[in-house]
Amino acid sequence: MEYVLKIVNLAVSRRERTQLIPVLNDINFFVEKGELFCLVGESGSGKTTLALSIMRLLPKSFVVTSGEILLNGQNILNVNEQSIRSIRGKDISIIFQDPGAYLDPLFTVGVHLQEALHGTTEDKNQLITKTLKDVGLEPEIQLVYPHQISGGQQQRVMIAMALINNPSIIIADEPTTALDVLTTRQIINLLSKIREKYHPAIFFITHDLELAMSIGIRIGIMYKGHIVEIFRPDREKPLHPYSGILLGNIDKKYFNEKIPVSSQTDINDWCPFFEKCPEREQKCQKKIPFIWRDSLTGIRCIKHGRNHQM
Amino acid sequence: MKNFFQRLKNHSKLAFFSFWFLVIFYIVSFLADILAPYHFDYQFRDKPYHPPTKIHFFDTQGNFHIRPFVYNTVVDDPVFRSYREDTSKIYPIKFFVDGPERKILFFFKTKKYLFGVDKPAGIFLFGTDTYGRDIFSRLLYGGRISLSISIAGVIISFTLGMITGGIAGYFGGIIDQILMRLVEILMVFPSFYLMLSLRAMFPLNLSSIQVYLLIVLILSLIGWAGLARIIRGMVLSIKEEDYVLAAKSLGLSHWRILIFHILPNTFSYTITALTISVPGYIIGEAALSLLGLGIQEPYPSWGNILSSTIGNLRVLGDAPWLLLAGFFIFVVLINFNLLGDALRNVLDPKNW
Ligand SMILES: Nc1ncnc2c1ncn2[C@@H]1O[C@H](COP(=O)(O)OP(=O)(O)OP(=O)(O)O)[C@@H](O)[C@H]1O
Ligand SMILES: [Mg+2]
Repeated sequence: MEYVLKIVNLAVSRRERTQLIPVLNDINFFVEKGELFCLVGESGSGKTTLALSIMRLLPKSFVVTSGEILLNGQNILNVNEQSIRSIRGKDISIIFQDPGAYLDPLFTVGVHLQEALHGTTEDKNQLITKTLKDVGLEPEIQLVYPHQISGGQQQRVMIAMALINNPSIIIADEPTTALDVLTTRQIINLLSKIREKYHPAIFFITHDLELAMSIGIRIGIMYKGHIVEIFRPDREKPLHPYSGILLGNIDKKYFNEKIPVSSQTDINDWCPFFEKCPEREQKCQKKIPFIWRDSLTGIRCIKHGRNHQM
Repeated sequence: MKNFFQRLKNHSKLAFFSFWFLVIFYIVSFLADILAPYHFDYQFRDKPYHPPTKIHFFDTQGNFHIRPFVYNTVVDDPVFRSYREDTSKIYPIKFFVDGPERKILFFFKTKKYLFGVDKPAGIFLFGTDTYGRDIFSRLLYGGRISLSISIAGVIISFTLGMITGGIAGYFGGIIDQILMRLVEILMVFPSFYLMLSLRAMFPLNLSSIQVYLLIVLILSLIGWAGLARIIRGMVLSIKEEDYVLAAKSLGLSHWRILIFHILPNTFSYTITALTISVPGYIIGEAALSLLGLGIQEPYPSWGNILSSTIGNLRVLGDAPWLLLAGFFIFVVLINFNLLGDALRNVLDPKNW
């Protein structure tokens, strides 16, 4: 098995005055070569924070408190500024949520693509034209300013910029959230076409579990900065109670009243979903590790994790 | 660029007019060597405070002349310096006349001027001053100095402001602290006194070129500080923009991001601010000249042409044409302000 991206014990905190507020905790997962890995989580769960940690583009107020991020075997948390720059955009690239805001209003599409291009032996213009064709755009679009094209076209431009250096992994942070249903489908189709043709791994972030189920090879579910479950949608059903709620199988409002939330100080160490869990029990009031079922999937829940280990 | 003019025109006809008016004004003053009928220090000793010359089409017999002409004038009353036209001979206005050699902008030699009349008559479109020098010619030459001082000053301020504001805002930390304290020191002094004390640091008997450069330096040294502060503020906010994050994700270097993505996005503001600040340089030069610290006679600038009238109340009644320099300053100021106001909207990429 070859990993493009492997994250080990990653923890990230946000500095607020003198306090450190944890945003990501105990993140362990990997993305295989050419795989499409989906990360699903609600707003504020830390998806973008994770994506930016991988790019080493976290805002200054965020600190990585522990862990390793291995990109093609190299821990990018240890490399210097110069090397990370040569990795960014070349080995790993990223597409963002609101494509309009991520294109500089003063420059044409062509200039953006030229900038995205790292040193290459190929003919630059030819490569740009080819990449534009790959994302379904005409070469003439190079002369146009970002605000003169539609959101869908802007996102295609972003994809072209991400693709142009043929990276081993593309992070897509909610690339379709700002787009309408039809355009979303087109962009998703485009990404899968690109994956078939150039085989980059794609780390696809979304808040839409259904969308993830329809495209992902594996899906990671994120809750309050923890990955609570990783599963393969075409092989097994998700078992974590939170996944159930996301899928709409379990009524959100119902949770087990019999186990009150005691006001203990170490509540932060408990199962992150304890407060809202319909199936919570006394024994959940402790730190729950992520338990791997097999080499690819796993869960952070004592009840379901146990079942599976047996 | 074509886009720019179209947008400017669509946005405001008036500002579009101002733009071209200023362009023509600058071109005209830079071509003073061809357009001015007299050199700036040429004196008609017998014609001080001469009012604007009358241009005639009909002679005393009532004959029409296709080519306009002037009469020579003689002093009528030496006390009140009034002049009388000597109608015995007509002096037609000639175009592309020959005269003593001048150098256009110190480079290209020319012996041809746009227009003139034969001596001893003179053509003074705007009258003459105390020494009998043609005000029109002096305003053209003076415009060259005053307008070029403003442009040179603006360019230096702009560059300094961009560099310091950009570096301070983007890199932050200790560099930011040092640069901004420096800027604040410059800003706490009222600019007029700062200007005077800076000028006082240098001797009075400098050559004209030295004075010119000194004035440019002083004015831009005062101008850049405010600009640097504002640019720093803008950089602070622009560096949080998503497209800057995207540029970083492409692996671009800090300098490239600062120079290609952040600073250009301040241009819509800075160009507007600079446009509006241009008249300030002209007025600054005028203020120095007024105190005799600016461009020295016989070299003309709008400031020292104007200053020669100050303290001479008689002039206001008898030779009001000497105040034309003030009028020119006013016209340029109005046009720069009109243009600046329109640029604020035209240069904003969101309005493209
Ligand atoms: N610039 C910031 N300043 C302060 N707190 C932030 C900032 N950005 C994110 N956070 C906090 O960090 C946590 C994780 O945010 P993050 O943006 O990673 O969530 P997300 O899963 O990407 O959400 P969304 O679906 O809304 O994009 C949130 O609790 C949020 O409040
Ligand atoms: Mg996000």
